[in-house]
Amino acid sequence: MRRYDLITPEGTRDFLYEECALKRMVETRTRQIFKSMGYTRVITPGLEFLDVFNLNSRYFPQEELCKLTDNKGRLIVVRPDSTMPIARVVATRMKDAALPLRLYYTQPVWNFAPSLKGKSTEVNQTGIELIGSSARMADVEVISAALSVLSTVGKDVPKPFPVQYSLELGDVRIFRELMHRLSATPSLKEEIRSLIEAKNYPALNDVLDQLGNNPITSSLRRLPTLFGGEEVFDRAAEVFRDERIQKILDSMKELYRTVCSIRKDANVIVDLGLVNKTDYYTGLVIKGYLEGYGEEVISGGRYDMLLSEFGYDVPAVGMAVNVDAVAAVIGRKYTPHPAPADVLIVTEEGCEALAVQKAEELREQGLCVEHALRPEDAEDYARSRNIPKVLLISGTQTKEVDIHE
Amino acid sequence: MNKPLRIALTKGRLEKDTVALLESIGYDCTAVHEKGRRLILPIPDGNMEVVLAKAADVITYVEHGVCDMGVVGKDTLMEMNGKLFELVNLGFGKCKFALATKKDYPFYDGFGVKTIATKYPNVTRAFFENKGMDVDIVKIEGSVELAPLLGLADGIVDIVETGTTLKENGLAVVEDVARISARLIVNTVSLKLRQQEIENLVRKVEEKVNDQTNHM
Repeated sequence: MRRYDLITPEGTRDFLYEECALKRMVETRTRQIFKSMGYTRVITPGLEFLDVFNLNSRYFPQEELCKLTDNKGRLIVVRPDSTMPIARVVATRMKDAALPLRLYYTQPVWNFAPSLKGKSTEVNQTGIELIGSSARMADVEVISAALSVLSTVGKDVPKPFPVQYSLELGDVRIFRELMHRLSATPSLKEEIRSLIEAKNYPALNDVLDQLGNNPITSSLRRLPTLFGGEEVFDRAAEVFRDERIQKILDSMKELYRTVCSIRKDANVIVDLGLVNKTDYYTGLVIKGYLEGYGEEVISGGRYDMLLSEFGYDVPAVGMAVNVDAVAAVIGRKYTPHPAPADVLIVTEEGCEALAVQKAEELREQGLCVEHALRPEDAEDYARSRNIPKVLLISGTQTKEVDIHE
Repeated sequence: MNKPLRIALTKGRLEKDTVALLESIGYDCTAVHEKGRRLILPIPDGNMEVVLAKAADVITYVEHGVCDMGVVGKDTLMEMNGKLFELVNLGFGKCKFALATKKDYPFYDGFGVKTIATKYPNVTRAFFENKGMDVDIVKIEGSVELAPLLGLADGIVDIVETGTTLKENGLAVVEDVARISARLIVNTVSLKLRQQEIENLVRKVEEKVNDQTNHM
């Protein structure tokens, strides 16, 4: 039998020293941001019943879920997403809590990635959910949190460096509105959606040609091309001659302008063709990008129907940060080094209790103190680990030695 | 100056066709012609860099964003299924995926499960799934035509250009699976962050491609 006792499964890994420190750095910063905005942390279990993710609208493809069975034979999945479990908790145990609820999380999610593509199965995420409000300010608040996260990347290191970022806004209602009026089979509609998502203009045109030329198909043709800066709204106004869509566009434009004026230096873009398959989003969608990283590092949006699928009809908006991605971007320019201890305590046999007491006393003062495990080599050890001070304890005597290179 | 826009080309015929296309819209591709063994080549006046890779790798590089754009056949795109933008059908590198069997072989007769030999298992699976047909798929690396001749498979799903190889081996096309041609693909983040540069290039390419199709 082949044993796999020395490696981790594909798409997972151990985080050591630098990687661990970088990940912590991102988590600490995002936590500070979220806490300072009034968000409280929740932790949901790593294992959930499959049913939580298998609602009417089926957001998660079977082949990407890590599945197990419990001792009664029921299907369990390893959490593929944190928003749905949080929706579950809110719709059940927190149903009577006063709204709005501001919750944040820092925990991994697991989705089997296609083999050998360099993608992770285990992704560490941190994110916020603002539940119980459909106010415009709620959208602005979540977007501003995303902007805070993006704009602080590269700032928490000894020599801060600039990282270009972009925040993208979209709204799935425009696509839904068009699809609602299009007469086509569900499978054809799904094909159209995936072609719009892939900005596959030639194939999209071919499919729409079959459906004839009418205002809906010509709008759908243009939908994936409508991305860029503020000029997109003018271009869109020419494409969609429709009151309901125009109303959505007007509110988006206002939101766009608000977001632009939060941070004058922020690069805010719009894409009306953001139509992901696995979305529970019902309106606003946001994505955040960092220069030199090939996919989005933040994604989120408004999901007003999700909680009602768990039996609690309240609107919500949220976003998640891919911690590993942000850490990787920082890691390209900065390698953290673990700080050496401040003091090494060396003690004779029999004086261990005293050594521990002394160490605790120093730690109370905020110092990092290590015990020497091989007293005879203590000074060499201190030198090799850059520990500046050695404390010798014998009997009731203590003696300080400064270590110089 | 910004980082150069990196475009990955599929080595071989698509590379030549793409270079010809780039030259016809005014880019200086001298370095690509005189590449020697180098794999990353500058296009000085366009602030661009050409990377030469195998088809499947073009998709991988573009998907990960280490290359902003790429030129690759639809065949490889269908097989790999990456998350990227497929902006332009370049019109060259035309051929098709087809299901072929020995001539006059009653492929759809009977109730037995058929065996298909192919280099493209995902394309094959998707094609038969659409038909609601259960087939066994055998992955072959070399000349797929051999498999039905040797009796390993009932049919093959493969790229057909002229059909000469099929004919000379006593095989015939039963059904077309999909049309294939070269595509211009773009990384999903690059398109957003370098929109102007990319759209500029795409516009020029599209004009040229439309021109050529209109003249054909």
